[in-house]
Order: sequence, then structure tokens, then C-alpha cells
Amino acid sequence: MCFPDSAETIAAAVRVARRHGRPFVARGSGTGLAGGAVPVDDPVVIVTTRCNRVLDVDPVQRVAWVEPGVLNLDLSRTIRHLGLHYAPDPSSQAACSIGGNVATNAGGPHCLAYGVTAMHVLAVEVVLPDGSVTTLGGLEPDAPGYDLRGCFVGSEGTMGIATRIAVRLTPNPPEVATLLLDFTSVDDAAATVSGTIASGALPAALEMMDAKITRAVEDFVGAGYPRDAEAVLLVEVDGLADGVAEQVAAVSEIGKANGARHVRVAADDAERALLWKGRKSAFGAIARIAPDYYLHDAVVPRSKLLDVLRRVYAIADEHALTMMNVFHAGDGNLHPLIAYDRRQPGVWEHVYEAGTEILRTCIDAGGVLSGEHGVGLEKRDLMPLLFSPDDLDAQARLRDAFDPDGAANPEKVLPRGSRCGELTAERASIGDKSCPLSTHALWWCRSVGEHIGKLAVGRPRSATGSWKCARPRA
Amino acid sequence: MSTRSEGPLGLDDDALAACVACGLCLPHCPTYRVTGLEFASPRGRIAAMREVEAGSMPIDDSFERAMTECVQCRACEAACPSSVPFGHMMEDTRAALTEQEHGTSASRPRRALEWVGYRLVLPHHIVLLGATWLLLAAQKLHLVPKRLALPALSPRSLARRLDVERGGQPHAWLFTGCVMDAWLRDTHRSTARVMRATGATIARPGAGGDCCGALHVHAGRREEARTLARRIIASMPGDAPVVVNSAGCGAAMKEYGVLLDTPDARAFSARVRDFSEWVVERGVPATSRSATPIVVQDPCHLRHVQRSHLAVRTALGESFALVELDDDGLCCGAGGAYAATQPELATAIRDRKVDAIRNAVGQPDPVVASANPGCMLHLRAAGLDVRHPADLLAEVLDG
Ligand code: SF4
Ligand code: SF4
Repeated sequence: MCFPDSAETIAAAVRVARRHGRPFVARGSGTGLAGGAVPVDDPVVIVTTRCNRVLDVDPVQRVAWVEPGVLNLDLSRTIRHLGLHYAPDPSSQAACSIGGNVATNAGGPHCLAYGVTAMHVLAVEVVLPDGSVTTLGGLEPDAPGYDLRGCFVGSEGTMGIATRIAVRLTPNPPEVATLLLDFTSVDDAAATVSGTIASGALPAALEMMDAKITRAVEDFVGAGYPRDAEAVLLVEVDGLADGVAEQVAAVSEIGKANGARHVRVAADDAERALLWKGRKSAFGAIARIAPDYYLHDAVVPRSKLLDVLRRVYAIADEHALTMMNVFHAGDGNLHPLIAYDRRQPGVWEHVYEAGTEILRTCIDAGGVLSGEHGVGLEKRDLMPLLFSPDDLDAQARLRDAFDPDGAANPEKVLPRGSRCGELTAERASIGDKSCPLSTHALWWCRSVGEHIGKLAVGRPRSATGSWKCARPRA
Repeated sequence: MSTRSEGPLGLDDDALAACVACGLCLPHCPTYRVTGLEFASPRGRIAAMREVEAGSMPIDDSFERAMTECVQCRACEAACPSSVPFGHMMEDTRAALTEQEHGTSASRPRRALEWVGYRLVLPHHIVLLGATWLLLAAQKLHLVPKRLALPALSPRSLARRLDVERGGQPHAWLFTGCVMDAWLRDTHRSTARVMRATGATIARPGAGGDCCGALHVHAGRREEARTLARRIIASMPGDAPVVVNSAGCGAAMKEYGVLLDTPDARAFSARVRDFSEWVVERGVPATSRSATPIVVQDPCHLRHVQRSHLAVRTALGESFALVELDDDGLCCGAGGAYAATQPELATAIRDRKVDAIRNAVGQPDPVVASANPGCMLHLRAAGLDVRHPADLLAEVLDG
């Protein structure tokens, strides 16, 4: 494990790892939800937390160069006085790093209007798995050649490590309004989502939380989320003052027509911040209900949202599990979440089966496996559900072009046997399994906590026993 | 019902299980911020506690180090959506470490020094005052290294006694404490002036009401802390509010209910108020307006533990233009005895805070308000002009 503190030392760490024939994996803040940074095959873990400088801000071109360990929210804070912010805002934005955002092509509530990470990364300087450093993309609007930047963003560390990132900065909207609508049924809330989108309004964010999650969140933030609602919608509209007022009226009307009990408009920035704090702490707040959770991240066509939701709750009932939903309703990105206590005997089998059924339901409805968390280790072996052997082979060959030796974040994203002619018994067995969650994914869910523990107590210290870690020598 | 684990630390099982490793606490942790190391973060510390409890990791120097490097600012606790009771877990862990006297030879002199500090000086006010006079003499002779961040003591202030009677039946008690009374007695004078300006009669605690035991709790010396807590409770009988102008002491006294777990202790804790909190409840006395902008620095134990930091703004807002920091209340690194026990980390943490303060006002010598003696001394040692809200208010009192 090493802790480089600059682009140069990250590259040096990769070279040292390669010289010793070791694979490598980058780790940022460790907030990932798909196990993308979990070390497999004894790699050198390159932790980017110390590469945390905003290197250059150009307020005119609205571009900033940052190191990968800069925290998402810190970046927005640093440029706030310029009237700018960094638009993609994952729920973990206070803690997650830009490098990790690039790796997973992270989303967030405001990506409904502003687009995901890939649309905000102009260029990346990367260290390739052979240790060479190159820049993909560029600051000009249409860089010549293939868009390798687009290929790198979302590659989850399998094509190298980003060492410097040029991000697009977004002007703060002149006016913002945040609405909280509460409903006595999930159906009504879902109908409001469809109605809003159909009306042509494009809110900046459109989030849904169901009853259980709303109560857990309210216990934490005390933002005035209604404890007795079956579902709440958090809607944000922004733009020029007139347009915002119009949209607030439109959304309120659609909500009321669909049975909203109350429509509350946040009175000021503090109230708005508190409402968002609630939404963004949702996953953590689950522990108020049960100490463990298994979170899914699937996207379904918006038109199927309601059907899928009903089925998801039914599945949980069949397994007598506590199911909660908190998700980006506007773009059909579901986060069904099963809360459980691993100390309860036999519970895991149910969590596992229910999870499988949920994913099948989503995929049968025309959805995909991952909206924003990435594939990582968790969903790697589910890829064949979505991609044909030819698709997988094409992806594997793209990866090979960057990393012929398989040294960059091995065992992630693509299941073994993705390459043509590599169709092993293993692959066949995955395909044959009646249940798409492989034993590997199962193992990951159980042990992610332990992994963090190992990282925590590993001994990356120099012989003198000080906290200073071994800095890689170039 | 919570259960204690069977492991060597005896932590609460549910508390340990409550951390879902989401990482939302990381940016609020001062030691993680300056080191970038997982094992210097709340999540890493909890993971290490789990490993030790599960028997898969020994209690060794590296574990002890991960635990003692925690400032116990409890910012992680306030940030945690799962409400992991980190402060109490850390206190339990430190208590277990202290009890087991896992003493490597290197730590023995330190333990001897701790004994003098926790058993001799802090609980015996006379000894503390004597030591303070000695310290003052040493300062005059330039024998005290600057990096110890000790306050510049004034013989004039130390020689004058505080004009508040002990005991009786006041409207409100003014808790004077140990270190605060010896080193920052002028702040007590200001506190008394402001309290009296609200029309209240005040008194200091009777015999034994000196050291609140906060530092003992942090160091895992729970039994000593309990003894001190009982003495404090006995020293301020009745129903009158107990006003505390040290955020660290106030936080500890508000947790006597948990520490002693008796109805009396809980009733006492309910009477404890931070100075600003009490002033706001009682009504801020008339003041004149000052032109000085004041940067508000929230002591961790006011913001994350007592959660009454907003009262400082209400108390000062009428008289001063207040400037807010943009760092989510990140710790300054003072942490009770932390600045003395972990000087390197404490300084690195303070550097961030000093930058945040200077950036907030855009001038090199801003006036900073801080309601905790530890933070005041620690930040003053970095060259900042730090004052207690009581000192600031006393200056602008009408009449
Ligand atoms: S915020 Fe709470 S649950 Fe999340 S990692 Fe920190 S202590 Fe654990
Ligand atoms: S108490 Fe403070 S220093 Fe300790 S882990 Fe929590 S945030 Fe970090």
C-alpha cells in the first residue's frame, strides 16, 4: 500500500509495481458501492487521498485541473466565490474523490439535468498500466482523434489511473427552488414523476424516498420530512427567476393532481441544504433500521418504474425482508435497498435470493445492471445477463489495448472468460447458474467491511514506526 | 437492549455493528484530513476496534496509536447518519487500554507523567495553582519552550481573586473549573460581569467543585472521572442552572448522566448550560455595537457534542459583525490535552484551521471568538487574537 502525493509519484508507484510484476489498484475515499477498489490478486494499493490539490482554476474558460484525491464537495467549495460549482453530486459528495468519480462515471441527483461525470471531464492525464503517462481528451471543444477520454471515464481503474483531471465548472444558477411533496402512496408519487417529465419540465433533480427511508432520514437530520408519508419527492428546479417560479407552480400542480398532501417549498438556503442533507445521508441512515444493507443500483425505463417498484416490494414481502427505496426517480435509476442484520441466522440466503429476483425483474423490464455505482467486483459476474459473448469480447479487447497484461485493477468489471476462445468451464457455469449472483459477489457483500478493516489495520509504515509511508522511488 | 461484546475492549456490540462504512464521516475527521490515512479516520478506527474485539488483531502499539491519535473531537459522530456513538466507543476503548495497562517499556515514563497530571495536579486545585505560579516563574526565566503552547500567564490576574462568592443559593452557578481558573481567570471575570448584567445573582461551586474530569474521561480514566463528577454534583446543590464557559467541561458535565448513570446525575446534567446558551435563554443584556468583525470558531465539544454552537451567534450577533468559517466546523487540534500529547498532528490540524480563519476574513490578524479554553490557547499559540465570547460581550456591555 502506498500514499503518493502527486501525479508523478502515482506514476512512479505504478512503475514500481510493474517492475516487480505486481498488479495495482487505485483507492480514493473508499466510498464505492460496487467493490471497485477492493484489492484482489495481491495488488499494490495506490491510495490517492494525499493527492488533494486543486491545481489550477480558470474561471473564464470554466475549467479546473485537479488531482484525483480532491473531494467532490471540496472542489465546489473552493470555487464557490467565483459563482461556479462542479455539477455531478453523488450522495457521498462530501467524502468521495474526483478520481473515484471518474473511475465509476459517477452520477448524482443533479445529473438529471446536468449529466453524469463523463460530461464534466474534459481531459484526463493518466498513467497507463505500462507506466507511461499520457493525456486523453483536451480542453478544446472537439479534440481530434478517437475520444479515448470517454473510454477512460467509467473504466473503473482497468485502463490505468487518472493523475490529473480537467473538469468543467458550471455556473451557479441564478435562482434555485427545492420542493418537498409528500404522498399517501408510492403509486401517486410515481405518477407525479411521470407527469412532471411528460409535461416537458426538466427539473434539475427529481428524487423519491419511500416511507421507511424517510423516517430514518428524518431521525437523523430533523429537516421536517413527514414521518407519516408513504413516499416523498424532492424536486429541485433552477434557472432564471421567472422560469423557476413557473416550474414551481407547474410541479406543485402536477403533484396535487396526483394526490400530494402537501407541497413545501424550501424558504431559504439553510432549509434547502437540510433537505438535501437528508437525502444524501439516506444510505448511512439505514443503520437506524438494521446494521447491514445490500444496495442495488439498476436503471429501468421510466415507463416501467411503477410496475417494477410494485414487484420489488412484493419480492421483499415474499422473503420477509425489510425493503426500502431511495432513488433518482427522474432518470429511472432505482436503488432498492434491503436492510438486514447479518447476525440473524439464515437471513443472508434470503437477501441473496431477493436481490437476484430484483435484478432479474429490472433486466426483464428492459433495464440495466448499474446506473452509477459501477460494476466493480459486485456485478462483474452478472455482466453476461446483459451482454452477449460478442459484446464482452469487444470490451475485453478494448481493455487489452490499454492493459495487455491485466495488471490494472485485475478481476474487476469483466467476468473471466470474456475474451473469445477463452470460454472456459467457469464461464459456462456462470451462465448456467440459475441465480446470477455469483459466489464472488456474495463474498464481496459479506466481506467489504472486513476489507476496509484490513486496509485500516494494515501496516503501511516505515521501519521507524512513524506514520510516514514508503514513498515510491521513481 | 445493547450488549457488551466478549472481546478485550468490552465495547457495545450494537454500536460496533452500526457503522456501515459509508465514509461520510471522513471529511470531518481532522486526523484523516491531515494524514489521508484510513487508520487515522473514524471508519478505520472502528474497523480496528472490530478486529480487536473479534480477536483477529492484537492490542499492540499500532492499535494503541490509532486510538490515541484520535482528537476525540466527535465531529464524526455528528456527521454520521447511522448515529454511531463514536465518542463513547472511543472512551470505552481508552478505558480498556488504561485498565489493561498494556505498558510497553517506552510508555512507562509517560504513564508516570500522566499520574502526576491526572491524579495530583488536576483534581487538587491548590496544587494546580502552585504549579501555575511555578510555570509563571519558569516563563519569566524563558525556560518554557514555545511549542508547548502554554498561555502567557499574568501574575496580576493570578494574584487577584475572583469576586464571586462560593456556595449559597444563587440564580445561577458559575462553574470555574481547574485549568480555566488558573490560566484564564480574566475570562471568568468577564463571565461574571455579563451574568450579573442580566440581573442574576451568581455563586461559584462550594468545596470540591473544581475539576470536572473531562480530561480523565478522554484519557480513559473513568473511575477517577466518576469520583470527580460526584464531587462536582455535590458542590452545586439545588435547581439553579450550572453555567460553564468552557465547552469541553460543559460537554463532560452534560454527560454525567451517562457516566454515573444515576437519576441525580441525570438531573444535574439537565441543569448544565454553556455560557452563551444560558445568556440567550436569559436574554442578552444591552450592549453597544462594535465595529470589529469577529470570526466564529466553534469548539468541537460545543458544536458536535453539546450542539449548542448557534447560541454563540445569537449572543454576539447584536453587537458584532460575525464571520463564518467555511470548513464545516473542522477541529482545530486542541482536543483537551491533545495539543500536548500529539504536538505534531495538533499543529498540522491547526494549520488548516488558521488558513480557514485567515481566508474567511481576508486579513492577517482577525479577532476570533472561541468558547473553549483549549482552543483559545492552542490558536493563540499560532499567533491569532482569540477571545472568549464572554470577554467580547463584557467589553461592549452598556454601562
Ligand atoms: S459516517 Fe458513521 S456509518 Fe459511515 S463510516 Fe462513518 S462512522 Fe461508519
Ligand atoms: S473523534 Fe474526531 S479525530 Fe477522532 S475519529 Fe472522530 S472525527 Fe476523527
